[in-house]
Amino acid sequence: MKLVRKNTVFQILLFAVLMVGLGGLFYYNSVNLGYRWQWYRIPRYIISRNSGGSLVPGALVKGLGMTLLISFISLIFATIIGLLTAILRLSSSFAGRMMAKVYLELVRNTPLLIQILFTYFVLAPLFGMSPFLSAVISLSLFEGAYTSEIIRGGILAVPQGQWESAYSLGLSTVDTYRFCIIPQTFRQILPPLASQSVSLIKDSALVSTIAIYDLTMAGQDIISKTFLTFEIWFVVALVYLAVTIPISVLIRSMEKRISYGN
Amino acid sequence: METNPIITVSGLTKIFDGGFAALNNVSVTVDKGEVVSIIGPSGAGKSTFLRCLNGLEERDRGQIIIDGVPLDHNRKHRLEIRTEVGMVFQSFNLFPHMKVRDNITLALRRVKKIDPPRCRAIADELLEKVGIPEKADSFPQNLSGGQQQRVAIARALAMNPKIMLFDEATSALDPEMISEVLDVMKNLATEGMTMLVVTHEMGFAREVSNRILFMDNGEIVEDCDAERFFSNPEESRSRQFLSKIL
Ligand SMILES: Nc1ncnc2c1ncn2[C@@H]1O[C@H](COP(=O)(O)OP(=O)(O)O)[C@@H](O)[C@H]1O
Ligand SMILES: [Mg+2]
Repeated sequence: MKLVRKNTVFQILLFAVLMVGLGGLFYYNSVNLGYRWQWYRIPRYIISRNSGGSLVPGALVKGLGMTLLISFISLIFATIIGLLTAILRLSSSFAGRMMAKVYLELVRNTPLLIQILFTYFVLAPLFGMSPFLSAVISLSLFEGAYTSEIIRGGILAVPQGQWESAYSLGLSTVDTYRFCIIPQTFRQILPPLASQSVSLIKDSALVSTIAIYDLTMAGQDIISKTFLTFEIWFVVALVYLAVTIPISVLIRSMEKRISYGN
Repeated sequence: METNPIITVSGLTKIFDGGFAALNNVSVTVDKGEVVSIIGPSGAGKSTFLRCLNGLEERDRGQIIIDGVPLDHNRKHRLEIRTEVGMVFQSFNLFPHMKVRDNITLALRRVKKIDPPRCRAIADELLEKVGIPEKADSFPQNLSGGQQQRVAIARALAMNPKIMLFDEATSALDPEMISEVLDVMKNLATEGMTMLVVTHEMGFAREVSNRILFMDNGEIVEDCDAERFFSNPEESRSRQFLSKIL
């Protein structure tokens, strides 16, 4: 008992020493490099007062708003695309299966950055799409490919007997999916879908390359004006973490809780 | 007296991938109200035969006519047959995420478009009939196997089918629960339901059904009156099977 306790205390101490050491090394090197830390200039980019004296969101918070908005809308479309693609892949229609297959191979075998640039520079002019729409479309298509694999796995895990009883009751294919099959996939697919939404938020940083003022873009913009490079990238990374870590924690608790009856 | 058969099967052949003929040129007719037990060794093709009757399994050759409707690629025909032929499975196959009542009313609502209060009444009436009215609001996983199978029967009956197919409905049950399900089936038979019952319950086959189809190797080897089959079977394969099982 006592031995274990002692060991734990030692481990915590060791961890603290290592962290402080790393932080110190970091700071020492930055000072050697001649970097002048100016944390006091940062708060105004998070929250500031306008001329009237009332509080308004700073540039980083506005950027975060855009990141969350794009991620949320893309998440909805990615789920719809993923569901339809999963069903197409499992359908008896050859054309449907091929379409789904081609889409999945294209999306999964090209870099997301290229997909975003392609959408913005090639598709957007052809179809008159705004940067925002380009961002949402490319992110939705990208995440939808992965979502479809998750949903397909969930559908395949539903026992064959469920299809057979739905069939012999005369239910249509759509009703069978809607009432019998899809609800049974939730337990299995919700945790990985939630993880996918964390990926989506992280991946959305790439839309800063097509002039979307998201969190990453806001960081770059502030740095180009103020040269607060180290502070701003620290804060940007922390803000991403502040959003994604709670979701990840939520997923872990969710994994234990979904069940019917009892 | 001539009656119009409710099931006409002719030349039914089913070949699985790999060229194995699970059904080999099976022809048979069943009249309205007949209770037919299908027995035979494992792998004889009994399940495949039942599953071909409602189109759950696609046949390779032959013709199936259910109550005057040919089972073909016409979607309307197929839907008509699916709703008029009820099926009960060995593994119950209840929808685990729905309460018992919703299991029973789903197809009423979605296929027959019956309004919710009427659906509810039908479900409660059927649960009464299978002896578990108090389980309407339970989830399947909180029911015993025998209760689950009775719900599955009620669910199939809700569509008001003309024919009921039972594929080893009691094989997955603990011994003490077999009779509660057989009793429900017996009552159905008394009410005049046309039934095709794949079973290993020889007592049921002998007492409740009026006809036996003995299958082996994808063929109907013997097709005769139930009493005759058990007292004096004609085919040597039937005799062999009976001597092993009784
Ligand atoms: N989906 C399938 N694919 C390949 N062979 C099958 C399939 N289903 C059944 N069979 C084969 O067809 C034969 C008949 O099966 P089945 O109708 O289930 O027999 P029974 O119900 O009389 O035990 C068996 O030999 C079985 O292995
Ligand atoms: Mg079988």
